[in-house]
Amino acid sequence: MREQSPDMATEISGLNKWYGSFHVLKDIDLTVAAGSRIVICGPSGSGKSTLIRCINGLETYQGGSIALGGVKLGDNAKETTLARRDTGMVFQSFNLFPHLTVLSNCTLALRRVLKMSRRQAEDIALHYLEKVRIPEQAKKYPAQLSGGQQQRVAIARALCLSPRLMLFDEPTSALDPEMIKEVLDVMVSLASEGMTMLCVTHEMGFAREVADQVIFMDQGRIVEQARPDIFFGAPSHARAQQFLEKILH
Amino acid sequence: MGFDLSFALSTVPTILGAIGTTLLVALISCLGAAGIGFGFEMLRRSGGLSGYAVRFLIDFIRATPVLAWLYFLYFVLPFYGIRLGALTVGILGLSVYFSGYLAEVFKAGIDAIPKGQSEASRAVGLSRIDTIIFIIAPQMLRNIAAPLGNYFVSILKATPYLAVLAVPEMLGQAFDIASDTYRYAEPLTVAGILFLLLALAISQAVKRVETRLLGSNRR
Repeated sequence: MREQSPDMATEISGLNKWYGSFHVLKDIDLTVAAGSRIVICGPSGSGKSTLIRCINGLETYQGGSIALGGVKLGDNAKETTLARRDTGMVFQSFNLFPHLTVLSNCTLALRRVLKMSRRQAEDIALHYLEKVRIPEQAKKYPAQLSGGQQQRVAIARALCLSPRLMLFDEPTSALDPEMIKEVLDVMVSLASEGMTMLCVTHEMGFAREVADQVIFMDQGRIVEQARPDIFFGAPSHARAQQFLEKILH
Repeated sequence: MGFDLSFALSTVPTILGAIGTTLLVALISCLGAAGIGFGFEMLRRSGGLSGYAVRFLIDFIRATPVLAWLYFLYFVLPFYGIRLGALTVGILGLSVYFSGYLAEVFKAGIDAIPKGQSEASRAVGLSRIDTIIFIIAPQMLRNIAAPLGNYFVSILKATPYLAVLAVPEMLGQAFDIASDTYRYAEPLTVAGILFLLLALAISQAVKRVETRLLGSNRR
């Protein structure tokens, strides 16, 4: 619903973050070009989730910079808010608002942040609920849906704001095995439409099929960054090899 | 001198006539206590100096008797040139006194909301105020409907304190009749029954609201 500017890239340079004395992100440099689809994997505690949470301001950081479409986060509160509005976030635990219907979950920000009329907001929400193949559930409450359906609603809620970068934080990790596919299918179709995606996931099938870059993180560093065929075929770092051996059984 | 039913019934109109004052005091005090208590809790959460000040204030309020508040507001403030009517003092006193307790209830209700809710709210770009109004407050109310209802009943039951300021609420009226006639059993029994009925009505109403809040959209 908003024009896509081709130069909307995310640039992270020299990013450092500490939790107290624990150095959780170490000198992260990463460019996410518009239209690219990057999968981040790595052992737990390696900083993957923290990294994408930094990108839309859910975490603060102590060193380095993050720029969304040329706007450096933190320089100017107003511009930061506007830039952050260009990113959509999907959480591991869905985080739908339990007291609102599926439709209201999607329309709340449109109405309160973008000041749209109810009619306009509902049209947009229904459009995206259709896109995630769930329009018939619009009047239900989140608790009445399955986990897979809830996560698809969460994706629709993020899409309503026409983000130019979608961040996924282990979107299928909290799901029963049979519901993983319905969520991945939605993500695959998003990717095929050219959405820029940064996705923390251990779904290696998804990474193979969709990603144009796979990033492997360990102990707060980006250890390896490669095309999926190279990453899965012959990872160059021992730590990445061990990781792949463990999860690709 | 046994219990005289016909005398008891003859006191009903006078005592019932004060039900308006009792309800008015209780209702405004509930709203006042909830408003001040929620404000306290928001300030406490914001941290910093005002957070510490509010923390102290809440402890102070909870450590003082409600009668002390009423006497202070009514008899001590005029000494400093602030003269408030008895009804105003009564409502203000009950509001402040119970705000200290309601702040604790609100705290528990907010603590029980998963952190992901405010994160999701920030992620879709809602402002802090909108997050409180549309995300936090409704879920908080759902978490605390039962204890909040209990405190509303407590506020109703605290309205007789206003008798010390000669506010004509139900128990005060009953006591006036008793003093005039030297018959205590009948008017006080009538007042007691009316309070019981009011308290039951409030708790029933709260139960209904609670069922409605929890019924359709359990997490």
